[in-house]
Amino acid sequence: MAPFDESFFFTALVLMTPILLVALGELIAERTGVINVGLEGMMLVGAFFSYWMVTEVDSHVLGLLAGVGAGVAAAAVMALLSINARADQIIVGIGIWILGLGLTSFLFTEVFASRSQIVVSVPDPINIPVLREIPGVGHVLFEQTALVYVAILLVPAVWFVLYRTTWGLAVRAAGDLPAAAATGGLSVRWIRWLGTLCAGALSGAGGAFLALGQVGIFQPEMTAGRGFLALAAVIFGRWSPIGVMGASFLFGASQALQLRLQGLPQVPRSVWIVAGALFVVFALNVLRQTSSGRKRSSWALAIVAAVVVVGALFTTEPSVSLPSQLWIATPYLITIVALAGLSRRGGTPAYLGIPWSAGEDAV
Amino acid sequence: MNVDRSVLRQRAWTGLYSVAAVVVGLVISFAAIGLSGSPIGESIRQLFEGALGSSGQLAATVARMVPLVLVGLGWIVAARSAIFNIGLDGQIIVGGICATATALYVDAPTGVALVLAMAAGIVGGVLWAGIAAMLLARRHVNEIISTLMLSLIAVQILGWLLSGPLKDPSQTRSQTETLPSESFLPYLGNSDVLKWDLPLALLAVVMLSVVLSRSGFGFRMRLVSGNESAAHRAGVRTTRVRVQAFLISGSLAGLVGASLVLGSRTHTTAEGFYEGFGFDGIVVGLLARGSPWGTLPAAFLIAALHQGGGLMQAVLGVPSQLVLFTQGAVVVLVAISDPLTSRIRSRRADARDASGVPLAMGPAGTANVD
Repeated sequence: MAPFDESFFFTALVLMTPILLVALGELIAERTGVINVGLEGMMLVGAFFSYWMVTEVDSHVLGLLAGVGAGVAAAAVMALLSINARADQIIVGIGIWILGLGLTSFLFTEVFASRSQIVVSVPDPINIPVLREIPGVGHVLFEQTALVYVAILLVPAVWFVLYRTTWGLAVRAAGDLPAAAATGGLSVRWIRWLGTLCAGALSGAGGAFLALGQVGIFQPEMTAGRGFLALAAVIFGRWSPIGVMGASFLFGASQALQLRLQGLPQVPRSVWIVAGALFVVFALNVLRQTSSGRKRSSWALAIVAAVVVVGALFTTEPSVSLPSQLWIATPYLITIVALAGLSRRGGTPAYLGIPWSAGEDAV
Repeated sequence: MNVDRSVLRQRAWTGLYSVAAVVVGLVISFAAIGLSGSPIGESIRQLFEGALGSSGQLAATVARMVPLVLVGLGWIVAARSAIFNIGLDGQIIVGGICATATALYVDAPTGVALVLAMAAGIVGGVLWAGIAAMLLARRHVNEIISTLMLSLIAVQILGWLLSGPLKDPSQTRSQTETLPSESFLPYLGNSDVLKWDLPLALLAVVMLSVVLSRSGFGFRMRLVSGNESAAHRAGVRTTRVRVQAFLISGSLAGLVGASLVLGSRTHTTAEGFYEGFGFDGIVVGLLARGSPWGTLPAAFLIAALHQGGGLMQAVLGVPSQLVLFTQGAVVVLVAISDPLTSRIRSRRADARDASGVPLAMGPAGTANVD
């Protein structure tokens, strides 16, 4: 299976990690009722401050802490404005995004422009004995750096906290029925504060991983839309930790695939099969939700056409070569298509984006 | 009479808060300059000098302001129907690409060529916004994500076109050949800075302000953004209204793309021609508080910041990225002042109620009309 080999899945997990970290944080925040469009800005401050810290003290742990701290600070601004001052969450989020972008570009020029580019060391992978020997998955799963493990282990942790603890119940109540939470004696504001800070901390960690975990450099705008991919991953994952992980993996894998295909002279057969299969899943999903007969038959036709086209591509294996820019754009396209194929039912916290004030009757 | 005065007073308050937001944003930014060790007083002087110092500087500021007015209007049209079109950049890019291609490949006499290229730009912007609008209407895809993704895709498409199909082979830089002079955006009168997009932007302000406040379409938009389900029950085709507003927003961004390309100083389309205009447009739209006329002072202010920031960097070495930081601070401050005004107003109303004035005598229902 030409491009889908061990090193592809290894890269896919690495590229999934920043998206997954940020998306899990945002998942918690959105379950408490706060939507945060400023994730991109929070990732940027996380990336910049962790990089700055490592250039000064050469410690990855302190670097990560600096990134998390910066993300939490940005989230505190967000929480203060949107929860206490009851400002529109989306507009504050846009403000945080621009603020993070401006602050990091400004500081980067101010601090580093006069020096030549500093490449800091990348943390060593933590190889897990015995497990790494497993053929096939050993290298992919058990020779990663620390934050990759953290991100993956956070998925069951977040699931457990959300659905099996009273804390999780409080979180879900704050987003779904804040009046009930308040009647039960909980402080909705406090829960939402914590949720927002979680998003900030994990965004900072995601940004730190982006700067330190992969390349060891910082560049202005280096997040390249990953904050928004995380936002999309929460929606595509239907506000559940498992779903968010699946969505993050899809986005990470599409980035890994795009990197791989850039270097190949032609698109291998297996990629056509995967693309065709994904399209069929997409079309079947749309088909299931469409009631109008004419639309249904046209989607059914599209599925048949896709199967025929993929079959033709599979047998002929034409030499398709796209310019690198268009390969770079494909993960963004896949994100849009994924959201478009999503069925509409359920999952959204009922009070997402709606400010809460204790004195008001919310219902 | 009573109603008019309270509406005016409310407008004055929101205007005042916008000004206050800008002042506080500037104070924070200058504090940042001070912390980074540059002289604050001198920075302020250079900022003013660069933006308004001479008639030439002022003209440059106004020239920069014009596209910002149009993008700001684009943000406002969408926002008035509760759509957050944060991918204005993408629509500007595609508008610019379409205008460039038309200018390069369609032979037409002076004037006609310009109009064709401008129209192509508008079509490009509508097309790019239309994808997101369709996804929103048909598949409920969140427009914040879709427009941003489309923006990122547009950046890559532009990069590919300028390094491949549209590239001038005689240049090493990624840029097109010189556009034919028939499609240049002409200068205004005997100015050598201001172009014909200035009257176009003013016209757009007037038209939009009439459409938003006086037309049935504007009224339906207000209903949709006020309470979508109530509007739907009242017989407004809400999805249609939102799609229309989205497309108008895209058309304004596309027009900006065309005017940036056709009015470029080098008469070529190069990578990054769109840079910053989408962000700036969002800030202008927010600062103007959804009022088309408000985009004029707001865009002037943002343009002045850019022009002044440029000189500040040239003279004092203060990175011009500070302007972006200032804008972020301004957006955040504008966001809080909105609920702040309504809270102060309701507190006043509480005080009035407590003082024994009958409730029914208050300026009932005026707050939400505009």
